Amino acid sequence: MSATAAVPLPRRRFSRDWIVAQLIRRAMLIVMLLVIAFFSYRSLRFSSLDNLQTILVAAAPFALIALGQTLVILTGGIDLSVGSVIAVAGMTGAAVAKSHPGQVWLTVLAAMAVGLLAGAINGFLVSRIDVPPFIATLGMLTAGSGVAFVIGHGAPINGLPAEFGTIANTKVLGLQIPVLLMIIGIVGFGIAMRRTAYGMRIYAVGGNRTAAEIAGVNARRTLFSVYAVSGLLAGISGVMLASRVSSGPPTLGQGYELDAIAAVVIGGASLMGGRGTVWGTALGLLLIQTLNNGLDLLLVPAYWQDVIKGVLIVAAVAVDVWSVRRRA
Amino acid sequence: MFRISKLVTGVAAAGLALTLGACGAGDPTAAKGSDGSKTAALRIGVTAYNMTSFITAGKEGMEAYAKANNIQLLWNSANDDVNTQAGQVDQFVNAGVDAIIVIPVQADSLGPQVEAANAKGIPILDVNAKLNNAALKASVQPDDVAAGAAEMQMMADKLGGKGNIVVLQGPIGQSGQIDRQTGIDQTLKKYPDIKVLAQDTANWDRDQAVNRMGNWISAFNGQIDGVVSQNDDMGIGALQAMKEAGISKPVVGIDGIEDGLNAVKSGEFIGTMLQNGTVELSAGLAVAAALAKKEDVNTKPVYNMPQITQANVDVAMQHVVTKRSDFLAQLPDLTAKNLKTGNIADEGIPAAS
Repeated sequence: MSATAAVPLPRRRFSRDWIVAQLIRRAMLIVMLLVIAFFSYRSLRFSSLDNLQTILVAAAPFALIALGQTLVILTGGIDLSVGSVIAVAGMTGAAVAKSHPGQVWLTVLAAMAVGLLAGAINGFLVSRIDVPPFIATLGMLTAGSGVAFVIGHGAPINGLPAEFGTIANTKVLGLQIPVLLMIIGIVGFGIAMRRTAYGMRIYAVGGNRTAAEIAGVNARRTLFSVYAVSGLLAGISGVMLASRVSSGPPTLGQGYELDAIAAVVIGGASLMGGRGTVWGTALGLLLIQTLNNGLDLLLVPAYWQDVIKGVLIVAAVAVDVWSVRRRA
Repeated sequence: MFRISKLVTGVAAAGLALTLGACGAGDPTAAKGSDGSKTAALRIGVTAYNMTSFITAGKEGMEAYAKANNIQLLWNSANDDVNTQAGQVDQFVNAGVDAIIVIPVQADSLGPQVEAANAKGIPILDVNAKLNNAALKASVQPDDVAAGAAEMQMMADKLGGKGNIVVLQGPIGQSGQIDRQTGIDQTLKKYPDIKVLAQDTANWDRDQAVNRMGNWISAFNGQIDGVVSQNDDMGIGALQAMKEAGISKPVVGIDGIEDGLNAVKSGEFIGTMLQNGTVELSAGLAVAAALAKKEDVNTKPVYNMPQITQANVDVAMQHVVTKRSDFLAQLPDLTAKNLKTGNIADEGIPAAS
């Protein structure tokens, strides 16, 4: 989407060139609509309100980490650690819930603090020590997974008090809390990235760090902040996931980082940084979740679903690259 | 304090493993370590695929049996990696332990290691999951086919032999998944009026099960009469999905983990099949010890999972959770008795009505 925002639209509307340019610009939105149309046609249940809610509830934990990932990728970095941070935060939440039953806020705060800490360590390594983001967060991915097992003494934390389950399963305004957080997150970050100086700085650092620094942007501080935000969001996601099923498995969130990165990339962001939007990520995320849901409704076997998703990710980026080249 | 003592045990075990590795071949003093005072202690090496909650509970059972029978356990986890496990068995063979217990990562593996153990006259056996190898000296296995058949039977009885079900499966191709499905299908054959609307994997995982079940609820709007889950974790995921959709249908699981037993107690599960790792792994160790001492023993005992319903869930709960230390205290005697009777799953739980 934004990927091709720079494609100049021909002056005259509804000319052939104008239509072609529009189609390319909205390629992912069109794919999304086609997918929805296909599923609606094949399954009567797909377009029901209940099913929409099912999709949104499943999407919410991914949405939080995909938002953090968007910020990181916009700076030209990557955060591979979010899956492990989810596990550590979820296990921390479960452990606190077990030792302090009834203190729900303490549980949530502990999980958020752990996520923020992990993100801050990533941010420090990247912005101050200049460790490449791939390496810094790969280290956190590995170490975090170990920490999650340490917290549970190698086993899942089960037998949690009922209050722990209320965190993710309470409804506010008719929406489950994770869904509400997802909506707030997408709208909040969407506006922040477009309308605030903070958003501008992130784009500037990702687009051309040297130029941004000459213009007076504190690149190190900006870099640190995006990793910290990503860690914090992963922490929230972790406690939501653990609460939803009232359990703290050390393998929680395993591999989620790849789904988050896929959502950002499908949404049209460049892994080189400087290009992409929160709206694009939201669309990419909903596309993946819609596929998960729709393919289940059509009873496509789970392993074939992975094949289809893999093809889609590559196809989305291929279209993007092609359309960028076309502009040149 | 409890945590610290556990940590110390862990560090000691790690140190022991390191010593084993460092001293290498043919050093019989390699792993004597802190237990050097007990001169005639049997040394039995154990390698488990990973430290899951099942294995963690089983390790406690083994430790209780070992303590009561003057056995020194050399414990290793393979982190789900076949090569790591092969290396661990090699180390046990080199160290000249008295017996080796393998809880395998993968069925088709460890051929050369089993051969090496046999060549050195060290009894080697698989416990809890199968190794495809005829040269093993013994095998202590759960009957997953029977467990699958029994859970499906519970659901069929609940539905009065008629209705629509969905089945949540383990990772496709894993022996536990295949065997439990075989059992489910055996029972299903007797009930032509029970229709399987959908069956697919959620990889033993709650998180995956809740989303898959949510999608199925959408797909079969109001048609699902029951959920047959190949383990408790996925069944609990299905319960959560049904809560979110505002429906309530019977669920049945396997394993008898703490949360599963709670669900049986509250009536959300109609039942589960208890695979008590504490009892099963302790029996495995007893067989290994008997072989090491060249005693006569049943080398192929089968663990038949007791059926748990609301009628007997309280006893199971005591054994697994609430009165666990009492249960561990009497476990060595229980294990010895079971090995004689041949019913290694007998832990004194009354039959489900």
